[in-house]
Amino acid sequence: MVGKWQLKDHEVEQRLFNRRLATAAVLIFLLFFALIIKLVNLQISQFEYFSARSDGNRLHSQYVPPARGLIFDRQGKLLADNQPIFNLTVVREQVVDLDKTLNLLSTLIPLSADDIEQFNTRLQRNRVPFSSVPLKYVLTDEEKSRISVNSHLLTGISIEPQFVRQYPLGSLTAHSVGYVSEINRDELDGLSEEEKENYGGTNHIGKTGIERTYEEILHGSVGYEIVEKNNRGQVMRYLDRTDPVAGKNITLHIDAQLQKAAEEALGEFRGAVVAIDPSTGGILAMISKPAFDPNLFVTGISSKDYSVLVTDEINTPLFDRSTNPYPPGSTIKPFLGMAGLHHEFVDYEFAIQDPGYFRLPGVSYRWGDYTLRTVIGGGHGHTDLQKAIFQSCDTFFYDLGNRMGIDIIHGFLAQFGFGDNFAVDISYARTGVLPSREWKMASRGEPWYPGDTINSSIGQGYMWATPLQLATAASIVANKGKVVQPRMLKAVEGEDYEPFIENPVPDVMVNDPDYWRYIEEAMSMVIHRPYSDEFRDYGTAFEAIAMADRDMSYRMAGKSGSAQVVGISQEILASTDIVVSDLNKDHGLFISFAPAQNARIAPQIAVAVFVENGEHGSSVAGPIAKAVTDKYLLEILQIDFASFEDIGELQEEITNPLVSQSND
Amino acid sequence: MINQDFIRQTTGFHRPPSRVQTIWRLIHTDPPLLVGIILLCCFGLFVLYSASDGDEDVVRRQAMIMLAGLVLMFAVSQFSPHFFRRWAPSLYAAGLALLGLVLFIGVEENGARSWLDLPGLPSFQPSETLKIVVPLLMAWYLASRPLPPRFKHLFWSAMMILIPAALIIIQNDTGTAIMVAMSGIFVVLLAGMRWRMVFGGFFVLLSISPLWYLFLAQAHQKDRILTFFDPYRDPTGAGYNIIQSQIAIGSGGVYGKGYGEGAQSHLDFIPESNTDFILAVLAEEFGLLGVLFLICLYLFVLIRGFYIAYCAKDMFSRLLSGSITLTFFFYVFVNMAMVSGLVPVIGLPLPLISRGGTSILTLFIGFGLLMSIHTHGRKSAN
Repeated sequence: MVGKWQLKDHEVEQRLFNRRLATAAVLIFLLFFALIIKLVNLQISQFEYFSARSDGNRLHSQYVPPARGLIFDRQGKLLADNQPIFNLTVVREQVVDLDKTLNLLSTLIPLSADDIEQFNTRLQRNRVPFSSVPLKYVLTDEEKSRISVNSHLLTGISIEPQFVRQYPLGSLTAHSVGYVSEINRDELDGLSEEEKENYGGTNHIGKTGIERTYEEILHGSVGYEIVEKNNRGQVMRYLDRTDPVAGKNITLHIDAQLQKAAEEALGEFRGAVVAIDPSTGGILAMISKPAFDPNLFVTGISSKDYSVLVTDEINTPLFDRSTNPYPPGSTIKPFLGMAGLHHEFVDYEFAIQDPGYFRLPGVSYRWGDYTLRTVIGGGHGHTDLQKAIFQSCDTFFYDLGNRMGIDIIHGFLAQFGFGDNFAVDISYARTGVLPSREWKMASRGEPWYPGDTINSSIGQGYMWATPLQLATAASIVANKGKVVQPRMLKAVEGEDYEPFIENPVPDVMVNDPDYWRYIEEAMSMVIHRPYSDEFRDYGTAFEAIAMADRDMSYRMAGKSGSAQVVGISQEILASTDIVVSDLNKDHGLFISFAPAQNARIAPQIAVAVFVENGEHGSSVAGPIAKAVTDKYLLEILQIDFASFEDIGELQEEITNPLVSQSND
Repeated sequence: MINQDFIRQTTGFHRPPSRVQTIWRLIHTDPPLLVGIILLCCFGLFVLYSASDGDEDVVRRQAMIMLAGLVLMFAVSQFSPHFFRRWAPSLYAAGLALLGLVLFIGVEENGARSWLDLPGLPSFQPSETLKIVVPLLMAWYLASRPLPPRFKHLFWSAMMILIPAALIIIQNDTGTAIMVAMSGIFVVLLAGMRWRMVFGGFFVLLSISPLWYLFLAQAHQKDRILTFFDPYRDPTGAGYNIIQSQIAIGSGGVYGKGYGEGAQSHLDFIPESNTDFILAVLAEEFGLLGVLFLICLYLFVLIRGFYIAYCAKDMFSRLLSGSITLTFFFYVFVNMAMVSGLVPVIGLPLPLISRGGTSILTLFIGFGLLMSIHTHGRKSAN
């Protein structure tokens, strides 16, 4: 019985088991079928989509910044170079916890609050996703190795090499060449969409000087590369590349040696020197002193360094004195004299009897002769235009200015660039003020008074001009009226660059071209007319220039000037650590060109020197102009004046310069 | 003995074995199963070489483990099923004891405190052995009871399954606990548990699952479930794995990107590309055809397993071989479904393809049991 029950049971049980097994098999096939449907859906229906996603994961387009064009001086010396540095960069999308990562980083390398703030600003900018953002520029070797060792903890952080600007001459080119620095929000917003794209891989943009003016030429165009990156953002392969087009190398008219000589000649003074080649308009030197190290700005100046630069109210190193206006003082006189000749208010014979002061008819106020302030008193006596220039006689010009009136003065002086910016490529240069009735009414709301003309006649009052303008005006006289507008850029990629000037400035035309010779002679006398028995009959700069260098082999035409200091702030006057008397001193100015009165060689260099609180134009600014001119003519151009045929004549002129002209 | 003699006569299914078959039977090895396993192993090593980015050490270590597995399988198959049947309760008791030991002196690794580091032995996971021991005990228990099992027997079966599963859950190794439980449940299902009870139990589980979700589920488990429904709710965190593996699979297309050309895996976008997510690597590099080929290999092994269960001579052998085969399928399916986004992520490797240690050995013990079942007690029949 038991066996029978078991027997039946086993058959049933086995059948039951087999049924279950079959059910399981069916289920298995169904489940695999579902799985295959899912796979078909993923791998066939959505293949395109997932392929794109996969490519999106690994393929990244990134910008390849172009190399910035180099800047050379006229001799081929580098003024702006590109140097490799190593930056710490962050790919924001790959950093899981930014604060934690930054904390860790700050234990490895010094990271100031300043660095982090600047980094956050950079993060705010429009940027391509997965692009790297600089966190700290210029890592030292030690910092690099500390970061490399910990790189496994620093996902999304990497060290990237970059070429950045370096200015080998440092402060010597700070104002003229300018500097590049990080692009800021405003600059980026100012760019067109196309330009923005072009700056995709660029962190820096020209901020001042040539770097800014020729940003377009120097920058080049961005390249692209398609790279394959792994999950940690490391580039594994380069797949495609469009090379960037490097910025063009440019050559400036500036001569680094001359720049250096000008800087040294200024010595401890604050001031500016601008030297122009009259024949080309090329700016040979342009310095403003004190300056600053432009390299500080390239990789982000620290707020400490910056505050040092901006809080120095006396030295104001960031302030470009060469392109900012000051009262030109007596340096304006040759141009006024030319106006008088041209408009026939004076001629070669005309002379006044100078009592030492000027009075407007019917007015009791006396305009004194500033140049005689500190001397024995009295006037210059019999004074013609040449004497008025080489003796810098104020009274003569008070009278002349008064007779011409401001309208003629304004109209004539405007041709020399006063109140205007003749420079082709120094758009940031100020225009100063060449006053007129309209100007005064517009800016002061007052009518023009005759007294204003008298002040303007000696380069004071409302008359303001930049050293650049003075050098330009001097070069126009040197060119006998031909205007060659000043310019910085000499060549692009080694090929001479001729700028397109939309409205070229017309030459200065005068009734009789001999006037140019006459004025040149008068300016030459400023330097070369020696002391004699006659009362006040020497050039104002004779002692400081021609007498100081008895072997001077060429003639120089010049004009000194001093300008009263106006508007020193009460704050500075009140401070105790400043010698107020120094800040009250007049500014010394000097303009010149050379060689002058040379039948063989046209003037090669026109110079304007501005010495802040230098007091005397002739004795302080004059020798600086002489030093710069010497450097250029004798050392750089190496003109051997003694070797010319008319050597005897030249010698005679130097030893007894005024014999031939005494009859004029 | 009477039963067995009777079955031997009644099944009448077998043709007289040839000479070659006799030799295989003598060494207790089933050639078709062996071929299937070896093909899977070779394909696995091949895929692993690419998934590990050409790391030969990883592949060599995996191959050594597989060889050890084959040896273990061969050793296991030398014992007759009766031997295991006899020892089932003792093995179960020993397994529970080891699990208990883990509770006190267990070593934690990858978040699961499931390792034993006994002196003189390599460290191992006792929970792994339960994947064999639990179906062994269930087969022992139910084979000698009338089938379909009565409620009383079901209750005790449930106890026998739940006690080790609970101990493993305490070790924080949910994946293994599920596998252990499933290996036992498969025995119960094959033993003929009534459908109404199966569905009833299923609906009870379904209806209490919200309670589990609300009160018992841990944060990462909730995360996985939410991620399953919408991987893009946290694309860089919880949803990252599944999104990246779907991208890998989908971008593989029909023919794949080519061996060693899988960008997703070689650029480290697929996490766990050596272990749980190795299918994504395979699907990316070999495409749909590669996955179908793998499914065919698995199906071949599964069909052989079913055949062995079908031919088995007694209920114990049937239940055990059926459960082992279904557990193997469960592994395969859950892993593939999880990687392709069909089910929530459960940390289970793809058998014989994923890199692994103890889990591979467990699989080979299972195959050894299948071979033992298929090759013992036949000689006398002919």
